[in-house]
Amino acid sequence: MEHLLAIIVAAPFVAGVLLLLVPEVDRLMVRLVALCGASVSLAGSVLVATHYDLAEGGLQLAASYPLVPSLGIALRLAADGWSVSLLLLTGIITFAGVLASWTLRERSKEFYVFLLVLVAGVFGVFVSQDLFIFFLFYEIAVLPMYLLIGIWGSSHAVAKDGPFHFVWKLFDIGGREYAAMKLTLMLLVGSALILVVIFAMYVEAGQHTFDMSVLGRARYPRSMQIWAFPLLWLGFGSLSGVFPFHTWSPDGHASAPTAVSMLHAGVLMKLGAFGVMRVGMVMLPEGAVVWAPMVGVIAVVNIVYGALSAMGQKDLKYIIAYSSVSHMGVVMLGAATLTTTGWNGAVYQMFAHGIMTGLFFALVGLVYERAHTRSVPSMGGFGKAMPAVAVFFTLAGLSSLGLPGTAGFVAELMVFIGAWQSAHSWWAIPGILGAFFTAVYVLRTVRMIFWGPGPAARFDELADARRTEWGALVILGAALIVFGVYPALILDFINRTTPHYLGAVKELIGAP
Amino acid sequence: MTVTPLTLALVALFTPLGAAALIGAVTPLRRRGTPAAWLSIAAVMVTLGCAARLFMLRLAQPDGELLRTFAWLPSGSSTLAELGVRLDGVSIPMFLVLSVVAACVQVFSLGYMADEPAPARGRYFAYHSLFVFSMGLLVLAPNLLELFIGWELVGLTSYLLIGFYYQKPSAAQAAIKAFWVTKFADMAFLLGLILLVSVTGSFSWTASPPAPWATAITLLVFVGVMGKSAQFPLHIWLPNAMEGPTPVSALLHAATMVAAGVYLIVRAHPLFALSETTLAVMTSIGAFTALFAAVIAVVQTDIKRVLAYSTCSQLGYMIAALGAGSVMGGYFHLTTHACFKALLFLGAGSVIHAVHSNELAHMGGLFRRMRLTGVTFMIGALALAGVPPFAGFFSKDLILEAMVHGERWLPLAALLAGAFLTALYMTRVVWLTFFGEPSTEHAEHAHEHGALMVAPLVVLAVLSAGAGFFGKTLAAVYGLEYEFSLTPVGVAGSALGLLGILAGWFAWGRPGKTTRAFELVAPLGTLARSGAVNRAWELGYRQVLMVAAELIAWFDRYVVDGVMNFIAWATLRLGTRLRRLTTGNAQDYVYAVVAGAVVIAAWGIFG
Repeated sequence: MEHLLAIIVAAPFVAGVLLLLVPEVDRLMVRLVALCGASVSLAGSVLVATHYDLAEGGLQLAASYPLVPSLGIALRLAADGWSVSLLLLTGIITFAGVLASWTLRERSKEFYVFLLVLVAGVFGVFVSQDLFIFFLFYEIAVLPMYLLIGIWGSSHAVAKDGPFHFVWKLFDIGGREYAAMKLTLMLLVGSALILVVIFAMYVEAGQHTFDMSVLGRARYPRSMQIWAFPLLWLGFGSLSGVFPFHTWSPDGHASAPTAVSMLHAGVLMKLGAFGVMRVGMVMLPEGAVVWAPMVGVIAVVNIVYGALSAMGQKDLKYIIAYSSVSHMGVVMLGAATLTTTGWNGAVYQMFAHGIMTGLFFALVGLVYERAHTRSVPSMGGFGKAMPAVAVFFTLAGLSSLGLPGTAGFVAELMVFIGAWQSAHSWWAIPGILGAFFTAVYVLRTVRMIFWGPGPAARFDELADARRTEWGALVILGAALIVFGVYPALILDFINRTTPHYLGAVKELIGAP
Repeated sequence: MTVTPLTLALVALFTPLGAAALIGAVTPLRRRGTPAAWLSIAAVMVTLGCAARLFMLRLAQPDGELLRTFAWLPSGSSTLAELGVRLDGVSIPMFLVLSVVAACVQVFSLGYMADEPAPARGRYFAYHSLFVFSMGLLVLAPNLLELFIGWELVGLTSYLLIGFYYQKPSAAQAAIKAFWVTKFADMAFLLGLILLVSVTGSFSWTASPPAPWATAITLLVFVGVMGKSAQFPLHIWLPNAMEGPTPVSALLHAATMVAAGVYLIVRAHPLFALSETTLAVMTSIGAFTALFAAVIAVVQTDIKRVLAYSTCSQLGYMIAALGAGSVMGGYFHLTTHACFKALLFLGAGSVIHAVHSNELAHMGGLFRRMRLTGVTFMIGALALAGVPPFAGFFSKDLILEAMVHGERWLPLAALLAGAFLTALYMTRVVWLTFFGEPSTEHAEHAHEHGALMVAPLVVLAVLSAGAGFFGKTLAAVYGLEYEFSLTPVGVAGSALGLLGILAGWFAWGRPGKTTRAFELVAPLGTLARSGAVNRAWELGYRQVLMVAAELIAWFDRYVVDGVMNFIAWATLRLGTRLRRLTTGNAQDYVYAVVAGAVVIAAWGIFG
C-alpha cells in the first residue's frame, strides 16, 4: 500500500512507454495497452478510496522519494480527502476517454502515448505534497495538449469580422494549430506567474524545502500574500477558465479530438481550480481573505457570462465549451465563499462537472463523427436514429442544469448555500440565475439536435452508440446518478479535509 | 408477521422506481411495449395497495406521525440536509389520492395508447412509473429539500411526457416551455430554501424564522408554487402542456402534479402561517387566477384546453382558500378535484380517441354513441360545477365559507363569479361534445372502447359523485374538526352553478343558437386568444434574453478574444521591428558595445 499512489501516477506513464514498443499496425494491442494503464490507475484510485481512513483524516498513504536533496525537492506523494475524490474523477474520465476514442484512426499509437503522459501528470498533481513536483506535474499535464490538439484536432471555419478583424486575418482562427498555440501560450503565461510565487514562497519560508506541509505552516508576511495570491489566482485560474482569460477554452475544446476534450474539460480545468484552492487559499490564507471578494465577483461573472455566451452559440462544441466556463465559475464561487459548505460544494462541483462534461464531450464527439457537422441549427430529429445518445445527452444536460438526483444538483446546492452564508450573500442570486440560463440553452440544444422531425434524409441512417462507446457512456452516466443520489460516497472524503484546510482562513475572518 | 408502516411506505415508493429502471434498462422489455405496460401497472397496484393499507392504519389510529431520516449532506461536523420519509395525516391521504388516480390513468392508458408503436409504449410506461415514484417522494418528504427534489423530478417527468411525441415540433416546444417556466419559478423556490437553511439551520417547515425572513422565504417559495400550480402570470405553460397524451394531462396536468403546489402549502402551512403578507398575496393571486382562467376557458375551442384553463382556475380556488387560512378547504378541494378532473380528462381522452380530434367543433351527438363516457363525463362536470351532492359542491362550499370567515370580500366575489363561469363552460363542453348532431365522419362512427378504458371512468365517477361525503374522514385523518353545514354563501355558490348551467343551455343548448352565442362572447374570445401574458413572456425570451445572449456571444468572440489576439499580434509585430536591430554588421555591434560601456561608465561616475 505504501507505493499505491506512485503506482497510480506511474501506470499511465509506463503504459505510454510500453506503447512505444507496440507496432502501430496492431491497433487492438495499442488500445488494450492504453486501457490497461487507465484501468490500473482507476483501480488504484478506488483502492485509495477504500483504504483512506475517514476517522483519522489528514494526509494518508504518504510516500517520499528524494530527488534533489540539496534543494529540498522530493517526490512526496500523499492523499487527503480532496485528492481521493479527484483521483476517482481522473480515473473514471481516463478510462471512459480511452473507450470513447476507440475508433480513432490516424496515428493512434502516438495519440495514446501523449494522452497517457498527460494523464500521469494530472494524477501527479492531485497527490503531490511537494510544491516543485506539483508544478512539474502541472506542466506535464498541460504541454502534451499542444500536440494532441495540433495533430489530431479538427479545424472549423470561423467568420472573421468584429473590431479586431485585421488581427483575425493574420491568424488562422478556428484552425487546430491556432487553437493549440493559443491554449498553450495562455496557459504557459499562467504557469510563469505560478512559478514566481512558488519561488517566493520557498525563499520566504526559508526552510530549504518544497514540502507543502512545511511551506503551508510558514507564516508569510501579509504584504507578500497580498501580491502573491492574485498571481496564483491568475496563473491557475487561466487553466480553469477564469474570465477574461477563458477564451482559449472554446477554441481549444472545439478543435480537440473527443478524448482530449473529455480530459481537458473534465479534469485539466479542475487542476486550475484545485491549484487556486490548495496552493492559493490554503497556503496563503491572508491573501485569500483579502482577494476573496474579487474572486467571487469574477466567478459570478463567469457563471452568468459563460451561460449567456453558450446560449448565443450555434456550434455544438462551442456550446459545451462555454458551459464549462460557466460551470467552472460555480467552482470558483464555492472557493470564494470561504465557508465549509461552499468549499465542499466547490470540490464536489469539480467532480460533478468533470463527469458531466466528460459525458458531454464524448457524446458531442459521437454526434460529430456521425453527422459530420457541428452546427446545431442544421441538425434535428436525431433521437429516432440514436436514442441512446439522446438519452445520455439529456442526462448530462439535466445534471448541468442542476436537476436533483444528479451530481450537479448536490454541488450547486452546496455552493449556493455557501454563497449565501458568506460575507457576500448576493452572490447566490446570479449563481442561481446562471443555473436557469443553463436550463434554457441545454434544453434548447437537446430539442434542436434530438427532437423534431429532422431536416434532412441523410440523417436518418445515423448509427447509435457502439460497444466501447456504450461502455464510456454507461460509466459516466451511472456516475452522474449514483453520486447525485448518494453524495456521501465522496462527500465524506471532501468534508473530512475541508475544515482542516479552512481553519487558517476561518481564524483570520473570525468565523466559527 | 405484521408489516410496519415504514415498510409499506418504502415498498410503495420504490416499486414504481424499480419498474421504471427495469423498463428503462432492459431493452427487449421496453421494445415489446405490452409487458412493460403490465409491469408498470403491477407496480402502481402495489403502491395503491400499500397506500390504502397506510390509510386504513391511519384511520384506526389518527394520532402521531412516523418520521425516519438519514443524513444526506454533511457540512463540517454537522448535517446540512437529511432525507427520509414522513407519514402523517397530511402525507397519507395525498399518497392515496396519487396512487388511485395513477392506477386509473395507467389502466386507461393501456387502451388509449394501444395504437402507438410498441417501443413508444414502453417508454411511456417507464415515464409513468418514474412519475409515481417522484410524486411519492414529494408527498412523503419529511422536509422542504426532499420535497423540492421530488418537485423537480415530477417536473422532469412532465417534460418527458409532454414531449412524448418528440418528433412533433409543437410538442417539443410545449415540453421545453413547461420546463423553462416551472424552472424559472423554481429558482425562486431554491433561493427560498437557501434562505430558510441559512436562517434556521434546517430545511424543516416547522422552523420559525424571524418575521421579515419568514415573509421573504414564503414569498419565494410561493413563486415556485405559482409556477408548478400554473397561477397567473406563470400559468402559460399549462395550456401548451396539453400536447402530451391525454391520460398524461389527466394525471400530471390536472390531478396530481400541478396540485403539488397546493400540497406544498398545506404541508408547510406552519411556515406560511407566519406571514400575513404571503397569505394575502396567495388569496389575491389565487382568486384572480380562478376568475381569469375561467373566463378564458369559456371561449376555448379545444376540449383539452378548456379543461386546462379550468384546472388553472380550480387551483386558484385552492390557493385562495389556503391564503384565507382554511387548510381543510384547500386540501379537501385538492382531493375532490383530483377525482373529478382526472375523470373529465379521461372522458375527454375517450372522446378524442373516438373522433380523432381535440376540437369541440368536430364532436357532437356522442351521447347516443358513447353512453358510459357521456354519463361519467357529466358526473364529472356536475361535480366541477359544484352542484350538490357531487364532490365539488362540498369542497367549494368550504372554500367560499373560508372567504366569508376571513372577510376577504373581493376574492369572494371573484370566486363566486368563477363558480358561475365554471358551470357555464362545462355546460358548453358537454353540449358541444355529446349533444346536437355529429359534425364529422369520425364522430358519426364513434363508439365506446372496451372495458380497460371504461372501468377507470366508472371508478373515478363513483369517487366524483361520492367523495364529498368523506370530508369528515379526511378531516379526521388530518386531525381537524369538520362538520358540513349549509351556509348562505354555499347556497349562493351552488345557485350560481345551476344558473351557469342554465345560461350555458340557453347559449349553446338550443339547436341553431350555437353560432350566435359564440358571437356574444366573441370580444372576450379575442381578448383571451390574444394571449397577452404569453406574448409578454415570449417577448422577454426572444427580445431580451436571446438578444443579450447574442450580444454577449459576439462581445466574447470579437472583443474579449479580440484583445487576446491583438496582444499576440502586437507581440509578433514588436518582434518583427526589434529584429531589425540584429543587422549582422560587426561594426554595428561594436558601436553598441562602446555606447553601452559609455553609459555604464557615466552611471558609475555620476550616479
